[in-house]
Amino acid sequence: MKFYRIMAVSRRVFRDVANDKRSLAMLFLAPIFAMCIFGVAFSGDVEGVNVIIVNQDQGFTPPLGETTYFSTDIISNLNTSTLNIQNMSNVDEARQKVENGQSSAVIIFPEDFSKNAALKSQNQSYPNSAEIIIEGDDSVTNIKNAIQKTVNQALSDTLTSKGFTPAIKITSNPIYGEDADFIDFFVPGILAFVVYLLTTILTLINFVGERSNGTLERVLASPVTEGEVVTGYAITFGTFGIIQVSLLLAIAILVFNILVVGNVLYAFIAVAILAITCQALGILLSSLAKRPEQAIQFFPFVILPAFLLSGVFWPIQAIPYWLRPFSYMIPPTYAVEACRAVMLKGWGPDKIWPDYLALIFFALLFMGLAVWTLKRGKK
Amino acid sequence: MTSNYEYAITTDNLTKKFGDFTAVNNLNLEVKKSEIFGLLGPNGAGKTTLIKMLTGINGSTSGDAQVLGKKIPDRNIASKIGYMPQETGVYLSLTVEQNMKFYGRIFNLSGQKMERKIDELLKFVDLEDWRYAMVENLSGGMKHRLSLACTLIHEPELLFLDEPTVGVDPELRVSFWNYFQQLKEKGVTILLTTHYMDEARHCDRIGFMQRGRIIAEDKPATLMEISGNDSLEDAFLFFSKKDEIQGNEVA
Repeated sequence: MKFYRIMAVSRRVFRDVANDKRSLAMLFLAPIFAMCIFGVAFSGDVEGVNVIIVNQDQGFTPPLGETTYFSTDIISNLNTSTLNIQNMSNVDEARQKVENGQSSAVIIFPEDFSKNAALKSQNQSYPNSAEIIIEGDDSVTNIKNAIQKTVNQALSDTLTSKGFTPAIKITSNPIYGEDADFIDFFVPGILAFVVYLLTTILTLINFVGERSNGTLERVLASPVTEGEVVTGYAITFGTFGIIQVSLLLAIAILVFNILVVGNVLYAFIAVAILAITCQALGILLSSLAKRPEQAIQFFPFVILPAFLLSGVFWPIQAIPYWLRPFSYMIPPTYAVEACRAVMLKGWGPDKIWPDYLALIFFALLFMGLAVWTLKRGKK
Repeated sequence: MTSNYEYAITTDNLTKKFGDFTAVNNLNLEVKKSEIFGLLGPNGAGKTTLIKMLTGINGSTSGDAQVLGKKIPDRNIASKIGYMPQETGVYLSLTVEQNMKFYGRIFNLSGQKMERKIDELLKFVDLEDWRYAMVENLSGGMKHRLSLACTLIHEPELLFLDEPTVGVDPELRVSFWNYFQQLKEKGVTILLTTHYMDEARHCDRIGFMQRGRIIAEDKPATLMEISGNDSLEDAFLFFSKKDEIQGNEVA
């Protein structure tokens, strides 16, 4: 071992990186990008969950006393940064909103809530306990837990301030996602995420190859148009996307026994459109790389935003408010949402069409941009 | 098999700039139908850039050009031209046959006609035994031969060949030139670039290119005669020096 030789190697590697602006940017920007995104995404608690309160509580009037509403005290103690509360009087209408996905749960305080609470605290042998009923979308475990935790907290805060301890029951009646575990929430997201990742990266590498080995030039010198190239890629990767989802689903169902309520065909459609979007994204990104190795440098920028913002691993309600608009700017979010709605809630196109629409919009946009970059290359 | 036009290629002050760098500078060129025209010059002289403009892969900054009687860019001529890029332009993860079939299909070839053409071309480039081999396992010269075969599959009227004989062994190079002559007799026009000055003698006419311009153009014998040299290499150096002196005088 000779020091001067070691230093020659080391200096050469330094030079190598320093000469390539992209490597340099990668080396310093990627860690900043990763830390910021991870930090921000993980630091947030679940926030802004839409819930509906139906308060039917008639209050309790002690002999010669004033009527008190115990429910109102609890409601005023609910954490309003976690829950985004709307009040309604009709339980059926409120349930309808949960079924449509506009709200995550209905919190019901029945008519005799205050009465039962008061009588039970005076006399332990009183037969009826007061009950708070939460009817919700339990398919998203984080949200379900956040709602229950918030209600529990409000309840215990109220009891502490009142200084009495009636037994109050919190009953949970799932509208969606009965018996749903975290894996059931997780798998539909993974379908979309895996297809997003593999398709984007595969096309990216493939297309940088086309650019660097002269095949793209040869093809573009032939009667083949830019649009035909992009559409040809779209058909192949759309098909690959469907095959990938079939494999993923088969394993999820057969090995992990996950919950599938709806018709998986609708999830397939969403993922196929996502794959078409992603191949166009891969072609777009390929225009920024000169050599196949440089394409690898894009991976963190492809993986991280989708990983953190698309709702695969935690619901969008667990992402800080100001980051949420970014979630809706990336295509996988819509595919994750659609797959989850189909598999956990049994929704069909009548309800997930906005997701389809968003995915088709992104597919057309990215394909248009991909064609544009190919045409611009000819200028 | 060819359409009616006198010149396969004409350019009128064709120019291509990349930022401040002028790759092709007010270039005027005429290539007659069924002529083999060779572009010779050092690296960076603008040969490849010129070919890319003529094939429609790149646009021009200024000036005009006509290819097969049509002002470019014109998509209608794309099916009549064959382009062999320097970077071989074949798919490494496909077999030899799969590559040829792909390039055949984009020109709407199929069935027996395609099979016959593939047989004929593989025989010509001596890759019959490698028909089902993955291209990534081929040597550099073999990839080049495959690339030429792919260029010829749709029987183009006009061939743009960028360094077609790089990495091709001398024996096969001779058969390449014989084949080019056969194509010429069928009415095909060929514009090629080469570094091999000796093989440029086979061209009907050659153009010496330097700094984006053609500094001399004529029959190889004539160029050697004018320069008083008996090799094209020396002839090139003669014209290059002359061009520099003239350039300095103008400056």
